[in-house]
Amino acid sequence: MYGKGLLEGMAVTLKNFFKKNVTEMYPEEKPRLSERFHGSFVLTADKCIACGICSNACPNMVIKIGSERDENKKRFLTSYEMDIQYCLFCGLCVESCPTDAINFNKEFELACYSRQGVVLNMWKRPENINSSNEG
Amino acid sequence: MNNIFLTIADMLRSLFLGFGLSEYVVELVMAAIYASVVFALIGLLVLILVLAERKISGYIQLRPGPNRVGPHGIFQLIADMLKMLGKESITPAAVDKWPFVLAPILMFVPTMLLYAVIPFGEGMVAADLNLGVFYFIAIGSLTTLPLFMAGWSSSNKYSLIGGMRAVAQMVSYELPLIFSILGVIMIAGSMRMNDIVLAQSGMWFVILQPIAFLVFFISALAELNRAPFDLPEGETELTAGVFTEYTPMRFALFQMAEYGNVFIMSGLMVTLFLGGWQAPFGLTFIPSYIWFFAKVFMMIFVIMWVRWTFPRIRVDKLMDFGWKFLLPVSLVNIFVTGIGIYLFQNF
Repeated sequence: MYGKGLLEGMAVTLKNFFKKNVTEMYPEEKPRLSERFHGSFVLTADKCIACGICSNACPNMVIKIGSERDENKKRFLTSYEMDIQYCLFCGLCVESCPTDAINFNKEFELACYSRQGVVLNMWKRPENINSSNEG
Repeated sequence: MNNIFLTIADMLRSLFLGFGLSEYVVELVMAAIYASVVFALIGLLVLILVLAERKISGYIQLRPGPNRVGPHGIFQLIADMLKMLGKESITPAAVDKWPFVLAPILMFVPTMLLYAVIPFGEGMVAADLNLGVFYFIAIGSLTTLPLFMAGWSSSNKYSLIGGMRAVAQMVSYELPLIFSILGVIMIAGSMRMNDIVLAQSGMWFVILQPIAFLVFFISALAELNRAPFDLPEGETELTAGVFTEYTPMRFALFQMAEYGNVFIMSGLMVTLFLGGWQAPFGLTFIPSYIWFFAKVFMMIFVIMWVRWTFPRIRVDKLMDFGWKFLLPVSLVNIFVTGIGIYLFQNF
């Protein structure tokens, strides 16, 4: 038949008209993120041995670690700062950590209202060796 | 329920006669009221059609279309109108001033004139001319010229090419349009719109003249400058084609004219081929104007469905198709119809 391709095309579009939409309605629905999504960071301070590998691995020197030795000459963590405005979210710090202390979480809404003072892309979390992280 | 608008018209007429005005003045006043009702109808229809286009195109593309402003996006058009009203109306320095300014207005005038002859329901025609179809074709051809005025006067090479293509396309698809209507007129025996609708009480003309219906549908799409024949306003081809130099308020008039034309061409299609305001299968408890609007909206859905399915046709192939295929087919249709009528009347 002469116009068969045309009618097949119209059948496809009509079927699409009745199918469910694939749009995710943000902000009512949160998007479905994968397991390995590169969001914000979460540090499990108990596992951190203050080796400094993450800080050396970071391409932009985002991570700044402060550490001290205690009486047994064992290093412990005193402060862990990440300046998110320069972070590439490349994941080299997460990959290179030997104790799996720093990890990604699924938080992506990271915009803020000021650069200094209250957090604009400046993620500062002075950690104590006895406290665990919060976001 | 069927005659509610006719009853209102009669009440108004007797009201005015009761004021002691003469017959002649009462008819003038009634004509003015019909005209204002038609304007209001066009405005309302354009609102509905623009939203329908965006929603339908969205659903075909598996996305929801506008759905933030009001439930299902019904107030989106008001937001658009407010935005357009607030924009600056720029007239570039090198344009030819009068055609540039007059083109959107003149584009809108034939559309308004055409609403006068379509029967919206039983006995609801604003002007029941006995040359209804002829009037429609004559005035409908007037939409070519304002597009060309717009293209020529914006001294811009994209607009000029768009305008030339628009004229070529619209003129060359006028002929198949007219010839496909001729078959219907031959069967109905009259050019009055109401007579054609009543002549379909036995069987709709789409069954008697399927080829004419297809030819009419394709030519109507080309006349309306809608996809797949929308090269003149080709959004991705020639910047905005004919409308490049037009700032939003004037562009809004063009869009209103286009959607008004879509509605009225669908109205003509329904009147000539799909039985007008008559109910199929004898379901006459639903009023005639509701049947008319239901059929017209169904045809508009088909027009939009075609738009979002097919890619645009290149201009030389478009002209080929019109002259070398549609015109001979419509002529053959007329011959076959004539032979059929002769055989039907003599046997």
